[in-house]
Amino acid sequence: MSRDGLTIADTDDAERQRRIRDRIKRRALALFGAATAVILVVMFYYPVWTVLSEAIFVDGAATVSVFVEILQDPFYFGEVARLFSGESPITVFGDLLSSDRQLGIVGFTAYQALLSTLLSVVLGVPAAYLLARFDFPGRRTLRSLTILPFVLPSIMVAVGFYATFGQTGTLNAMLGAVGLGPVDLLPSLEVVLVAHAFYNAPLVARLTTAAWESVDASAIETARSLGAGPFQAFRDIVAPQLVPAVVMSAALTFVFTFGTFPIVLALGGFELATIEVFVFRLIQDFSYAEAAALALIELAISLAILYLYLRYEARQSVENRGARPLARRRLRPPSLSLRELLPRAGLAVYTVIALLVFVLPIGSMIYESLSGPTGLTLEHYQFLLDRQVTGAAFQVKPWPAIRNSLVIGVGSLLVALPMGIVVAVLTTRRYRGRKLVDAVAMAPLAVSGIVVGLGLLRGLVFGVEIGGTRLALGGLAAIVAAHAVAGYPFVVRTVAPGLSSLDARIVESARSLGASRIRALWDIELPLVWPGVVAGAAFAFAISIGEFNATVVLASSTNQYTMPIAIERFMGRRLGPATAMGVVLLVVTSISFVLIDRLGGESRGL
Amino acid sequence: MDRRQFLTAAGAGATALFAGCSSGGVGTTAEGGEQTLVVGTYSAFVDAPSTSPGGWVKQQFEEEFDGRLVWQTPSNDENYYIERANAGVDIDADMFIGLNTDDLVNIDENLDGQLFAEAGDIEGQDSIKSGLDIDPDGRAIPYGTGYISLVYDGTSMEAPETFDGLLEDEYQGDLLAQSPSGSDTGEAFLYHTINEYGEDGYLDYWSDLQDNDVSVLGSWSDSYSAWQNGEAPMVVSYSTDQVFADSDGANLEEHQIRFLNDQGYANPEGMAIFQDASSPDLAREFMEFLLQPEIQGELAERNVMFPASESAELPEGYDELAFEPPEAVTFSYDELRGSSGEWIENWEREFVSN
Repeated sequence: MSRDGLTIADTDDAERQRRIRDRIKRRALALFGAATAVILVVMFYYPVWTVLSEAIFVDGAATVSVFVEILQDPFYFGEVARLFSGESPITVFGDLLSSDRQLGIVGFTAYQALLSTLLSVVLGVPAAYLLARFDFPGRRTLRSLTILPFVLPSIMVAVGFYATFGQTGTLNAMLGAVGLGPVDLLPSLEVVLVAHAFYNAPLVARLTTAAWESVDASAIETARSLGAGPFQAFRDIVAPQLVPAVVMSAALTFVFTFGTFPIVLALGGFELATIEVFVFRLIQDFSYAEAAALALIELAISLAILYLYLRYEARQSVENRGARPLARRRLRPPSLSLRELLPRAGLAVYTVIALLVFVLPIGSMIYESLSGPTGLTLEHYQFLLDRQVTGAAFQVKPWPAIRNSLVIGVGSLLVALPMGIVVAVLTTRRYRGRKLVDAVAMAPLAVSGIVVGLGLLRGLVFGVEIGGTRLALGGLAAIVAAHAVAGYPFVVRTVAPGLSSLDARIVESARSLGASRIRALWDIELPLVWPGVVAGAAFAFAISIGEFNATVVLASSTNQYTMPIAIERFMGRRLGPATAMGVVLLVVTSISFVLIDRLGGESRGL
Repeated sequence: MDRRQFLTAAGAGATALFAGCSSGGVGTTAEGGEQTLVVGTYSAFVDAPSTSPGGWVKQQFEEEFDGRLVWQTPSNDENYYIERANAGVDIDADMFIGLNTDDLVNIDENLDGQLFAEAGDIEGQDSIKSGLDIDPDGRAIPYGTGYISLVYDGTSMEAPETFDGLLEDEYQGDLLAQSPSGSDTGEAFLYHTINEYGEDGYLDYWSDLQDNDVSVLGSWSDSYSAWQNGEAPMVVSYSTDQVFADSDGANLEEHQIRFLNDQGYANPEGMAIFQDASSPDLAREFMEFLLQPEIQGELAERNVMFPASESAELPEGYDELAFEPPEAVTFSYDELRGSSGEWIENWEREFVSN
């Protein structure tokens, strides 16, 4: 009896401990979710609200008059403004089709975003085809480096584009060599579109490559053995898996280029001013209500696009990822048949275009960092060294910029990953309105960068007064959190489609065998969607490395600056110092991207 | 968990990383017993890739006075302080240097209450050149000025001598300018055309300029780097351009200056003391220090601009590379007040083409 009693007490004890552990595990996901919500509220929703609310509350009273004024202003809404002023839709749409229609700032912004998106898809998909379907030396490294354009500050891209497409640029030199040209391309809408594609085609390429690499080879083999031709097999098996990835990257590209600002002014000029240009100008002039209303309209359009995409994503039931990806073909044609030669000829043409659009601007930037008034020189790199050694305490130096960028980049990656995964898990569950939750969770991609910057200043740096003390937030940790907020939506988008396509029964059986929700996620789900996790990590890191606004606003001491800030600081009359720092940024981030991919493990996928 | 709890919890773990209560945007720690003067300015004043006077000014000032000078370069320059004042948060700087007339107008039009205090009697103020006064209320004292002019490549063209000349066919597509909301130079150039053609005529002039293919880019550096890349032979910039070109070893023929209609638009830079400065006396001493003749000369050279004081001692030969216009024009505070916002907005609505 006593022996039995002891045993029972022992088991009771162990049982209790196990129950507590279980409870923590059971709640782990909820805890992560709560922490994510807190970070989002503190670092994003509250700060942004301090700015956007000014459109709704004017002099303490709620009003829609600010919106009405903008909606009815042809300067912003073109012909559509007349619709808001009560004119008949038929006449308005008739006029919209006429050649001298007025688009207005909002209409034009959407128009150029649409064109930019199309161009990004056109330039991105062939890259995915090359990376996913062919094998050649350096393929993995090239794939790792595809998102490099993502991190380049717009001033660097502008320098590269002028040096490439300008009046005396490389393109005109090449045309001149064959007796053509010169062509006057800058400033123009066309070059702005190419620059937008420079930034976003890599996004399309990366996400589509992943989808292509997930196509199950056996499904195609089955289809072929059942008599399907290669075209039919592509249409029925491959395309349905690629299209969702292309649509996703297109939706993201639209949202990004819809919020474009410095690049459009640098390469297109003020004639092509977008919504964000005016949000900036109105805030500079302290016209907060109008700025906030305009930013809210911008946000509503972006979120609508994201919401439409999410509804589409939810309807896609991508089959389980294939266990065996398609075998890559060699770039050298095995035979001289038309079937082997045609795609390779197409890729050759694409490669020439890609060299011109992606490689040449970066190459021109590097060349700029090496050229002085009398030819090639290393003096700009000497400048970086001198600044490092002799710079005053209040000046920006290269090494701290590199170190801070890396520390903040890794830190925000480590925060963004769990945030993104948790939100992906929560939004792939079935409940009413989850797509709305998902769209709201994507808001950091869609809110005006100018508004976020001002919001962080007001909401965090200035802080709030509670009980006589002012609580303010700034410094490295705040910068890391802000970057994580900016980057985590990428993790959600690269992880969620994979999670939702997993067979729910896998998780259910794990749970029924006693695994906690978090253990099932960690042991079963995440390994199955690991390529998405690695891709999300790379994007989160890239966003952090390239981030500018939040960093300058949240810096709480003079030594908290990153590489993009150093580039901006070194921008002067000569392009050398800034471009040299730009090359440093290129090298550091290239190494980082390759490392992230290698550490992420050799796996198929992204 | 509410916001406050989160802040406390996070703060406990990472006190060193989080700025304390009501911290500034940029580090401003005082050390020891000596007085500290915190001076806000634009970043190029202390940290430009070519030359910036900040380090030298700090050293000279600290040698001469019993005080420590701390530079503060917040994001968004003076707007940072206006935002602070608007939010009712203490300003932790004593003064700001680098104010234009336009900034003062902006502050007075948008801020309830005062941001800056009257400077009072400042030694050296009497010798400030006439026409540089930027503040009828005596808050901001000018310490220097720049002149906005055309810079052109003399090896490929000869720039026109007048504003009307810019409209001629031979200069089609030859001019790079900047948006008035994105740069001081663009704003100055716009004001200059308003000064020339009047409130009722400048939009027509710009419409003609647009027909002649002027490129208006975002910022000064957008357009200057496009100009350096040979995109167009003329750019709206500063009349001190040759100083930089010379120190970079560039061909000065490629960096010619043109004052249209023999005029340059002056863009005076001023300094002012914050209303609630903790060291207002030291700030006044700093103002007087910057107006001393030998400091004026060296400050101008190091910031590559022109002194505000008649009695400035400029180095021999400074005027060989830095040019002053035969006639300086600029809008006064009173002329800008109530008008400048509308001028710019009307220009934007005229210029944007969609």
